Amino acid sequence: MTEETLNTHEETGVAEQSLPASLGLNAQLFVFQLINFTVVAIILWFLILKPLTKTLAERKKMIDDSIDNAKEIETNLALSEKEYQDKLKEAKAEANKVIEKAHTEAKQLGEDMKVKAKSEVEVIVDQAKKSIQTEKVQMMEEIRQESATLIVTALEKILNEKMDGKIDKKIIEDSLASLKK
Amino acid sequence: MSAEIHIPTLAPEAVFHIGNLNITNTMVNAWLAIVIFLILGIFIKRSISLKPGKLQNASEFFLDTLLGYFDQVTGDRKKTIRFLPIVGAIFFFILLSNWLGLLPGTGSITVGHNMLLRPANTDLNLTLAMALVSVIGSHLYAFATIGVFTHLGKFVQIKNVFKSFKKFKNGIGEGFIAVFAAIIEFGVGLIEIVSEVAKVVSLSLRLFGNIFAGEILISVISALVAAFVPTPFMLLEILVGVIQATVFAMLTLVYMTVATSVPHGDEEEAHH
Repeated sequence: MTEETLNTHEETGVAEQSLPASLGLNAQLFVFQLINFTVVAIILWFLILKPLTKTLAERKKMIDDSIDNAKEIETNLALSEKEYQDKLKEAKAEANKVIEKAHTEAKQLGEDMKVKAKSEVEVIVDQAKKSIQTEKVQMMEEIRQESATLIVTALEKILNEKMDGKIDKKIIEDSLASLKK
Repeated sequence: MSAEIHIPTLAPEAVFHIGNLNITNTMVNAWLAIVIFLILGIFIKRSISLKPGKLQNASEFFLDTLLGYFDQVTGDRKKTIRFLPIVGAIFFFILLSNWLGLLPGTGSITVGHNMLLRPANTDLNLTLAMALVSVIGSHLYAFATIGVFTHLGKFVQIKNVFKSFKKFKNGIGEGFIAVFAAIIEFGVGLIEIVSEVAKVVSLSLRLFGNIFAGEILISVISALVAAFVPTPFMLLEILVGVIQATVFAMLTLVYMTVATSVPHGDEEEAHH
């Protein structure tokens, strides 16, 4: 049967056909179209819809995970920042304490050294005074000796050997007593 | 002006034969859609990655928008994804088939006396096949989700009739009311079976009627005035293509969502 005869038959026989046949329903065509639709569904699902939905879900999961991670990192960062600030405060307080302690110690040390220096100076002064005194005494003794010698010599010259030993001794003692005064 | 108006017949026209098999122009259109989906699918499948390219980006945007609408019906993305193999295929196939009907050459390229290309959805065989897949698919999903007997119980509500007899213990009046209500529910269940058939008929005829009417309209207008005048009608057909694809897919989704929901009485029993 050619196409033309088929169509002519279709056109002329419409009135005799049943309702489904007049609407073009045909078991063979129905099966073919069902197969066509099944093929479309399979292609669409396995080549397009499934990979796309899978990728969308994967990306959504990745984004959710990233957001969760970012939140966790943010929380950790805030905690670290707080910890850092606390440590910094502690360190500052400790440093202040150390500086204060150093100041106090330095002050104390200064005071101590001052006192020590003062006492040392006093000791040196005392020693100097003592030494001066000793030297003075020594000098006085030497002067006395020298003076006695001088007086004796002078008197010997003046009296030209007219005086005895007793008179010499008395004169010497008197001279020494006056010198002491 | 003596333009020949070629009005399509209700039945698709055979354009060639393979042995005893008639290959109709609507099947050629369906195959064209299959080839387009296959090429698109191969491109998408080969290039798919978490960092999308242009094609994947456009496809994802389109799909994600569609899934958003589907979610409004199902109320759950998991359910939407579960129904997507059928609902998605229905939506995209109807949409592409309808738009392919607007391609230049549809209705004008002829083989013998017949058009080589004709919108696939102007074939009642295809719309009926999709409607049957939609309705039977919804029942299969229901069997898998809520159980065979629970789902069949929606249509053959004999359980309530037996239960109603127990109400006589509380008094004759209450018993009669319970039996009367159970018989009405049993009748409603039987009507539901008819409504399932009506779903198939309405789905298939609605799509077929709309697309067939659009095809006739464009054929007539194009035959009367070849240039410019058919353009607004073709733009209208683009819109009709989207609307019909959406209506068919959304109704399928509603059927599936309703079918997979636990019946009201059983839900209450489960809570008690």
